[in-house]
Amino acid sequence: MRRLALGVAILFGCKSGGAAPGTLQLALINDPILNPVLAPDIGSILVNKVIFPGLVRPDEHLRPEPDLAESWTISPDGRTYTFKLRAGVKWHDGQPFRARDVQFTFEQILDANSGSMLWSDFSMIDRVEAADSLTVTFRLKTPSASLLTLLGYNAGIIPEHAFGGKPILDNTAFNRGKPIGTGPFRVVSATPGSSLILEANPDYFGSPPRLRQVVFRLVPDGSAQVAGLRAGELDLVTIEPASLPGVRGAPGIVVRDATVPQHYFVGFNQRLARFKPAAVRRALDLSINRRAIVDGVLKGSADLPVGTIPVALAQWFADSLPRIPYDTAQARQLFASAGWRRGAGGLLRNAAGEPFRFTLLVDKGNPSREQAALAVLQDLKAMGADATLQTLEFSSLVRDYLQPGRFEALLIWWTTPPDPDQFSYYTTGQINNNVAYSNRRADSLLLAGRGETDSLRRRAVYLAFQALEREDPPVLVLFYPRELMAMSARLTGVPRLGIRDALRHLESFGFR
Amino acid sequence: MPRLRTAIPALLLAGLLLFAWAGPWLRGTDPDALDLAATLAPASAAHPLGTDESGRDILARLMAGGRVSLAVGALASGVALLLGTLIGSLAGWRGGWMDALLMRLTDAAMAVPVLFVALAVLSLYGSRMALLIGVIGATSWPGIARLVRAEVSALRRAEFVHAARGLGGRGERIVLRHLLPQLIPTLTVAASLGVAYAILTESALSFLGLGVQPPTASWGNMLTGAQASLYTTPRLAIWPGLMILLTALACNGLGEALRRRST
Amino acid sequence: MGYSRFVLRRLLQGLAVLWIVTTATFILLHLAPGGPAILADPKLSPVERQAIEHRLGLDRPLPVQYLAWHRNLLRGDLGKSYLYQTPAGRTVLERVPNTLLLTGLALTLSLLIALPLGSWAGRHPGKPADRLLELASFTALSLPTFWFGIVLIILFAALWHLLPAGGMATPGLESSLADRARHLVLPVLVLALPGTAELLRYVRSSVASASTAPHVTAARARGIGEPAVSRRHILRNALLPVVTVIGLQAPLLVSGAAITETIFSWPGMGRLGVEAALGRDYPVVMTITLAVAAAVILINLLLDLVYPLVDPRIRA
Repeated sequence: MRRLALGVAILFGCKSGGAAPGTLQLALINDPILNPVLAPDIGSILVNKVIFPGLVRPDEHLRPEPDLAESWTISPDGRTYTFKLRAGVKWHDGQPFRARDVQFTFEQILDANSGSMLWSDFSMIDRVEAADSLTVTFRLKTPSASLLTLLGYNAGIIPEHAFGGKPILDNTAFNRGKPIGTGPFRVVSATPGSSLILEANPDYFGSPPRLRQVVFRLVPDGSAQVAGLRAGELDLVTIEPASLPGVRGAPGIVVRDATVPQHYFVGFNQRLARFKPAAVRRALDLSINRRAIVDGVLKGSADLPVGTIPVALAQWFADSLPRIPYDTAQARQLFASAGWRRGAGGLLRNAAGEPFRFTLLVDKGNPSREQAALAVLQDLKAMGADATLQTLEFSSLVRDYLQPGRFEALLIWWTTPPDPDQFSYYTTGQINNNVAYSNRRADSLLLAGRGETDSLRRRAVYLAFQALEREDPPVLVLFYPRELMAMSARLTGVPRLGIRDALRHLESFGFR
Repeated sequence: MPRLRTAIPALLLAGLLLFAWAGPWLRGTDPDALDLAATLAPASAAHPLGTDESGRDILARLMAGGRVSLAVGALASGVALLLGTLIGSLAGWRGGWMDALLMRLTDAAMAVPVLFVALAVLSLYGSRMALLIGVIGATSWPGIARLVRAEVSALRRAEFVHAARGLGGRGERIVLRHLLPQLIPTLTVAASLGVAYAILTESALSFLGLGVQPPTASWGNMLTGAQASLYTTPRLAIWPGLMILLTALACNGLGEALRRRST
Repeated sequence: MGYSRFVLRRLLQGLAVLWIVTTATFILLHLAPGGPAILADPKLSPVERQAIEHRLGLDRPLPVQYLAWHRNLLRGDLGKSYLYQTPAGRTVLERVPNTLLLTGLALTLSLLIALPLGSWAGRHPGKPADRLLELASFTALSLPTFWFGIVLIILFAALWHLLPAGGMATPGLESSLADRARHLVLPVLVLALPGTAELLRYVRSSVASASTAPHVTAARARGIGEPAVSRRHILRNALLPVVTVIGLQAPLLVSGAAITETIFSWPGMGRLGVEAALGRDYPVVMTITLAVAAAVILINLLLDLVYPLVDPRIRA
């Protein structure tokens, strides 16, 4: 009996949570693949940003700053990028970092059979040359103004010597437990299903890491992550607006938000005749009360939109244009101009008497998205649309409806690198132009913006594109979400960025 | 005392059914009407139980959810009962290789992990109510089949069967006329336990996102939606959880009371 | 009929069942729309898509894939996990001990609580304590366990900081027994709850009916002391249905642990199964199906073999 009491005392006596000082505890939702070229999911991508720096990284304004590359020059025609690499950089196993490693990384990225998940980002690259051990040149097939930003996005550099000429997919030891990078922290142990432990890299080429250790705990469930944060077992989690009540006011926890390069939208399939006229899409645009959605569904943690280029890209965002208004009167006029009038029963009908009908698809499992879809539905029904909602599993939504173009309307989002190039999303016939938007002027603007290396001229191009989007909206942009981070109040040195980009600066994180 | 034992759960169940089906007559609030300006609102005249994370009236959703959850529970239990009785009585009556085959089939059905069946089937044809009911029913019939088989094969040897046979009665008619009525007590018990199991399973499936799809309310998916506000507004989770608990309690209690009556 | 022939026949039938189960799973998996999660990235270009499908062998016709799976199976190759890029067999095997730990402890806890309490209640039916126990076990059986688990986490971890919020161990403290024990408390409790309640009721009812059986009354009349009566006559007879219930519960524990493992972030086979199913990681799903089905069939077989030995009246 006494032993039982003792046992209970031990179990409950020690205060739970917390870790050794100087240790940061982050959450992971699944076992990561520790290879930036192969990483297929966001969890792996985030971890790899810590272990594998790229040539450049985004600064506090999402502009590229030197990382593994010290400096660079871009040829006037935008087709040749030459990088001078930092000297004296060492891999986590002590081997020296050389230009050949960069060349090797991109050989893997551009080989579709290597398992590369970055192929489409860099398909404009013709070849990568290593002139000497510290100089790398990228020769492009077409001029690109976004290469620099893309190099700082997910393209971590991997070491050639770790793979011994064999396919990178086969090196399970590297990919699942013992990766070798150049980042401020290196992997000490990986326990599948449980945790990933990293320690500070004393040979890091940047400023010495303030933290001693970084632990990634596997916590797949969102509410479990919040519970973990409150219990002191996690120090930083990204949360959905719906979870805000659970962390606001909790002792020792603060919530910060950051703008991120994301735009949420409702896309109408312009292969269908009723969605083709620009007037119809403008009418739909004006029928949605975005303020109510941002305040009610997202608890204010989003920005009202202008066009498809998000406010986070301050350099390219058209802040002089007014945000998309909520004007049901004008919407009605625009519908009428396209031949849609409210008839008997309150439904919008065209001259042939057909109702304005559609099914809105949304992926299931995310309460904010589902609620936003419901709100959009309610607004459009109030205008007379005969609309219904259908929730689907995400992978089914993408493979069976989005990509084959077999939908009427869907609510989805794009997360883009911090670059305004949207050529593949909204140019006629491009692979990611799932809504089949087609506007000649938009096509030429997006093509020009892609290759324009002069930033002033480039900005003018994108300003013109955003103005055009008001006349002929490719999609109904709903909002630019802000990423919410709930973290321990003792945590300092966290840049005001979304977690993808904040983790590129992990050496500056520390505890008070 | 035994009367009370049956009466209390039965009354509880009746009360819950009334709440779900007759409730909307007395109070016509739309359970799907969003009010984004008044999310997580406390109790008021317009919303006696407050509003949920989308501003919808919780009381109305409890009633609507009740209709869905109770219907799913009853129908799924019915499916399980039908399948189980059919297979079990066939196996118990015929015996021999038919028995072995059906029992191995039953083993197989018990061996397939519920989750995978649910996922595959529900995504193949969409998470429709009919399919959900079918899937839940399909995972609970093996237990009933085993039960029925045991009873039928025991009854097969009973004297009155010999007598009926002697009088020239055919096998199937004997089963229907004489055996099945003997099974009614067992089946009633199984039915009530089955409803409890089905309701609990539906809520668990909703937790994983496979159950009744929003915006249609079910007690299970109301629980899932309430997870995010558990710290500040726990009543969002307490009400549907309580409903599930009460229903399962009533069904289990009824089943147990009936079982005692019959022994 | 010889006992060994009976065993052999059942084993062969078991294999047949296994084959049916895995075939059904294979068909359901591949026919379900959506496909593997790694192909579900909206930004994948046709080139990348084709490369991935080719690498995973998904561009071959279904019957070819089916035969290939069997061929590989016979060679011991269960395929490579799409999500983790490791051999599926190894991925699953890594998680099995974690699930066994959880379910084993839950089962043990159930027995430790249900046997003494149940037999006490069975011998003292109708007393207020017995009624209380009955109500408690009903409530436990009617509780949505995942909801209960979440409530426990909120109370004990997030609000009161008494126990960990999840996981198997604190990273870095994996060798500390006390740390592991603390991580086991809540998940074992949640997992064991419904099983304990069900076992309790079974033990109670079989002890109660055995208590009043004629030969027991006779033993009492002959003056044999209560403890001896208890041990020799009541408990022995009560054991048979208890063994049945344990046998029925064991497979449920294995696959039903999936939800408990998800809530408590427990790195077990159940949670792996859910993730693999949702992410359509075909090799892992097939492997887990195989493992779980084999385990269930084996347990059923063992039960059916034990029965005739224990109770000679029931020879199949």
